[in-house]
Amino acid sequence: MIFSKKEIVLAYTVEKCPKCKKSSKRDFSETDVLFTLSSKCTFCDGITVIEKIFGEILQK
Amino acid sequence: MFSMSDETNPLMMLVWILPIILFVFYGQHIQLLVTSGEIKKGIKKLDGFRTNSKKELIDYVQKSTSSNDDPTKKIEQFLDYFTIMPVDMDPNGIVDKVRHTVRSREEYTRNHVKSISPELSEIEISRIQTLLEIASSLQMIYKIVNHMFLTAKKQKNYPLILPVQMILPFLMEHATAMNAAIPAFKLGQPLGDGIGPMVVGKMMLNSEKEIISFQTSLAKVEYENRKLFLLKAEGPGSTVGRPDDALQKIVDNDKIDAVIMVDAALKMEGEDSASVARGFGAAIGGIGTEKFQIEHITTQNRIPIFSIVVKQSVKEAITLMTKEIADQADNVRSQVYEMILENTTEGQSVVVIGVGNTAGVPQ
Repeated sequence: MIFSKKEIVLAYTVEKCPKCKKSSKRDFSETDVLFTLSSKCTFCDGITVIEKIFGEILQK
Repeated sequence: MFSMSDETNPLMMLVWILPIILFVFYGQHIQLLVTSGEIKKGIKKLDGFRTNSKKELIDYVQKSTSSNDDPTKKIEQFLDYFTIMPVDMDPNGIVDKVRHTVRSREEYTRNHVKSISPELSEIEISRIQTLLEIASSLQMIYKIVNHMFLTAKKQKNYPLILPVQMILPFLMEHATAMNAAIPAFKLGQPLGDGIGPMVVGKMMLNSEKEIISFQTSLAKVEYENRKLFLLKAEGPGSTVGRPDDALQKIVDNDKIDAVIMVDAALKMEGEDSASVARGFGAAIGGIGTEKFQIEHITTQNRIPIFSIVVKQSVKEAITLMTKEIADQADNVRSQVYEMILENTTEGQSVVVIGVGNTAGVPQ
C-alpha cells in the first residue's frame, strides 16, 4: 500500500441562470440544496438556480 | 563430505526433504498463518470503520441538538439492535411478513431517534436514521467477520477461514463505501443513487405536490396531451419513500397505461460508470418487498413497466454524486419524455417513478 494515493472528494455546486442560461461552478456550501435559488447572476440581472451538486476525486 | 556430488550429499538431501515434511504436516497451519495476516488487516480496517461511523453519528446528533445530554448510551444501545426475518419454510405470504417486520423496525428506529430530542426536524431525523443504519451495518459486518476469523483460529481449522478470505474483498468494498458515504449524508448532499429522484424532481418543479404515501411526493402534470403522475421520495431528507403504496393509491383512482421507473443500477465490471440503459421490468432495489408489490399491481392491472437505469458502482451509488452521473440527468430526463411518447398515445396516463434515496434532492 506504500504506492496508494490518498483520495479527497471535493464537492462542487453548479448554478445556472434561467434567464441567460449561463452556468458557473463553485465550491459546495453547506446551505446548498438542488433546484433552489442561489445567487445573483454575474452576466445578467437574473437569479441563479442550483442545477447540480457533485463530487470530484482529487488524488494526493 | 563436500567432495560428494549433490545427489548423495546428505546435507542437500535434508534441504529438500525437510520442507516436504514440514509442508505435509504443517501446510494447513502455514496457510492459516498467511491468510490470517490478510484477514487481520481487513478486520482492523472494519474496526476503524465502525468506530468512525459511531463517532460521526454521535457528533452529528450532538450538533443537531442543543441539549447537554450525552446521546452516546442511547445510540450504543441501538447499534446492537437486530431484526429476525420471518420463517420461509412455507413461503406463502412471506412478502407481507417481511414488509411488516422491516416497516416495524423503521418505525421503531424513527421513534427512537425522535426521542433523542424533540427539536430535531424531519430532515435531521431521516439523516440520523440513515447514519444509524450505516453504523449498525458496519458493526454487524465487523462482528461477523471477526467471529468467523476467531472461530477458525481457535479450532485451527483452515477450511473454515476460506469462506472469509473469499468474501472479504466484497465486504470490504461495501464497508468502505458505507464509511465514505457518511459525510454526504451529514451534509445533505445528493448521492449517486439519487439520480432517479433528481430526474423526476426536476420534472416536478413548479407544479403542485401532495404527499400520497409515507414520505412520498406526487405531482400531476400534463405532457403532450398525456397525464403524468410523477412520484419520488419526499426530499431533501434521506429517504426512499414508499413508491409501492403510492402506486397502489394511484391505480385505485385512475386508469394507468404505463409505468416508467428511473433508478441507479449496479454496473458490471468493465462497464462505463454513468452509462444509461433502458429496459423492461421494475427497476427498484432494496429487500424486494416493494419490487414485489409494484410487479403485483402492474400485473393485476396489465400495465407495462419500462425502466431507465444509470449504471454505477456500489461506492458511487451511496456516496456524493459524481460529475459523470450528475451530467446524465438532462439526458435521462429527455429519454423519459421520449419513452412516454413512444409507448403511450394522447389521452393516456403514465406514472413516472424516480427510485432511490432522495437525500439532498427536493422536488
